[in-house]
Amino acid sequence: MANQIHDVIVIGTGAGGGMAIKTLCDAGLKVCALNASRRLDPEKDFRFHRMPWDMKFRGLDDPKRRGESFGYMDNEYTKAAWDHEIPFTTPPGMKWMWPRCNAVGGKTNFWGRSSARFGDIDFKAASLDGYDVDWPLTYDEISPFYTRVEKMIGVASTVQNRPSNPDGSYLPPFNFRCLDFILQSGCNKVGVPYLPDRCAQLTQPHEGHPACHFCGECTTGCDVGAFFSTPYFLLPKAEATKNLELRTDALVKNVLVDENGQATGVAYIDRQTKQEVEVYGRAVVVAASCIESARIMLNSKSRHWPNGIANTSGQLGRNLCDHLYGESARGYLPQLLGQPSFPDHVGDSTIAWMPRWQNLKDPHEEKFIRGYSVYPDGGCEEFPGFATELDGFGSSFKREVKRRYPTHVSFGVQAPTLRSDTNFVDLDPEVKDPYGIPVARIHFEWDENVLKMWEHSKQVCSDVLRAAGAELEKTGDEPEIPGFSLHETGTCRMGNDRNKFVTNRFGQTHDVPNLYVCDASVFLNCTDKTTTISILAFSLRTSEHLIENFRRGEHQAA
Amino acid sequence: MRILGTAAAAAQFPGFSRWGFACGYMGNAALQIKPAEYRPQFFTPAEYASVERLTEIIIPSDATPGAKEAGVAEFIDFMVFSDPDAQYGFRTGLTWLDAFAEESTGKRFMALTLGQQTSLLEPLGFKSKARPGLEAGRRFFSLMREYTVTGFYTTEIGYKELDNPALKFYAESPECPHTGDPEHKHLPPPKY
Repeated sequence: MANQIHDVIVIGTGAGGGMAIKTLCDAGLKVCALNASRRLDPEKDFRFHRMPWDMKFRGLDDPKRRGESFGYMDNEYTKAAWDHEIPFTTPPGMKWMWPRCNAVGGKTNFWGRSSARFGDIDFKAASLDGYDVDWPLTYDEISPFYTRVEKMIGVASTVQNRPSNPDGSYLPPFNFRCLDFILQSGCNKVGVPYLPDRCAQLTQPHEGHPACHFCGECTTGCDVGAFFSTPYFLLPKAEATKNLELRTDALVKNVLVDENGQATGVAYIDRQTKQEVEVYGRAVVVAASCIESARIMLNSKSRHWPNGIANTSGQLGRNLCDHLYGESARGYLPQLLGQPSFPDHVGDSTIAWMPRWQNLKDPHEEKFIRGYSVYPDGGCEEFPGFATELDGFGSSFKREVKRRYPTHVSFGVQAPTLRSDTNFVDLDPEVKDPYGIPVARIHFEWDENVLKMWEHSKQVCSDVLRAAGAELEKTGDEPEIPGFSLHETGTCRMGNDRNKFVTNRFGQTHDVPNLYVCDASVFLNCTDKTTTISILAFSLRTSEHLIENFRRGEHQAA
Repeated sequence: MRILGTAAAAAQFPGFSRWGFACGYMGNAALQIKPAEYRPQFFTPAEYASVERLTEIIIPSDATPGAKEAGVAEFIDFMVFSDPDAQYGFRTGLTWLDAFAEESTGKRFMALTLGQQTSLLEPLGFKSKARPGLEAGRRFFSLMREYTVTGFYTTEIGYKELDNPALKFYAESPECPHTGDPEHKHLPPPKY
């Protein structure tokens, strides 16, 4: 047992790792998957369908605990799932927010579910606007993988024929609410799109998974698996093959190498026993999420790899990109004042989107290059947050809260940063985590281009509100701090030139042929779209490439 | 399950007397929670009386139940007790309020009638009645209003007040009922 050699060691069980595990197990390879924390027990750990008054702090969590939190995702519904033990650092003057769900399934347990495909406008962006380099593949190559992923996970949307957003195969969309029709009429007047979002939430039963029951609590976990997460959709299938050994509380320290510098396995800390354990495999897949993957590989130093494994390019940990998030504008819809409440909350903010409309005909039409998307939200939410800022008190105040309850709307921007030499991850030379592993140090600042998008979105969203007949209350002052979106990409970018890229066009590292990367680290940048569905599609492609390499005898089966 | 869960949870909460009664579905389980005089954990009895009154003035009991029935003062005491960072603002704010009341009327806040208290608070709570020199008091009132709103609209009484849609489940994705009126210019007259 101690010396057993697995076919593949997979680090991580989120979108990237989960897809790799399932695909490899299906192909008959023996997989040992390592996950940094435990399995969640939906009965115990998912506290959905509880009302705020069922919880000690009304779902807000203990203020003392919130004060020490590394991330905004903590609350009383999900507090067991987020990692508070592994710190990270930022250089003076820089900020980063890094909530990590290290439980089995990772962030897919609680993700936002928006699922748009990347397109050639993203892959060939450099050819269009001259910045950075193109991706080493075309949309035609990745499109079949998106189609297969959409079939696996189920995405609710419509065919929209937009140049920035290739269409896929979709379940029926969520219905529009009153506020959607009103905002859409505003968008029509301003000339920007307002369409059903691409949402991985099942509006009808799909592939053995039940339909959504519209409780609106997706971000606290789903009790029936009506939206994609690896513990509901992929890991059970992998376990059914009997080819999977899943080790939990296994915090990976480094990749092990042989005398030729090839990967032979992984060393991890068992968080229960605090002991270091080694596990061996003929190939290793790193899918620990963008920053954690870079940390593991940078910490995999040896005679062959003095600067981290597979890092002869010097690009490991570099090129960190992220989505700028922020509330571009908010206001209220006088049309709905005093109207009966409406279940606006059921889609948990994924009903509609305003997909990228900038720089489509001419890549230099705007003052910035590339583009951003916007997510509208509002209406009768579970907590009337607007009321904390309403003027007055007494019966008139109470009545005003009720009158305004259905009317509030806001716009959240999702804008990508550009690749930059100054945004990157390295190992902190001094700070170590409780297990003695150097922590990630995150160097990151918003670039000028993304801040221009932010300004642009404030203007457009204000115009939309006015055109929709809304009262504009506020445009955004500051965006969220970096890291908030959880959409970081780029620390192991893929490319054909081994001197400039960590991984090849299949996500296999140039330097170490039996080491693969299956998460958003391989993306060249984060585009205006969310990352999860693309992580799934790229991981599927990389995993099949790995299987093909086993078949060709490049990595011998155990 | 929900009922048992709530009773068990409420029983663990230190000293809530009204909690169970702010949750409408307690049934027999409620019998396990004895209504008693609430003993504040953070505020002094005198401070707590002022907090309770402020919550009742901010969200009064009128045609529908208010902060009093929802036990909002108990929630605020518990949250402030649990949050050292919030304690200074409340304590100094309450002291400021008594000083302001004495300066304006010669009496401490709780020695005034409800009508006098309401008049005293108007320049703190309404932008249109703000006066220079009252900035500290306005900040405290905003803090109090924020906690009151949070404490009230996170109870079942608060959910019912808004007819919060999360009280129900839906068989299908709810759809706007106003077909043919995308701009919503011809809605029925406001209900509220």
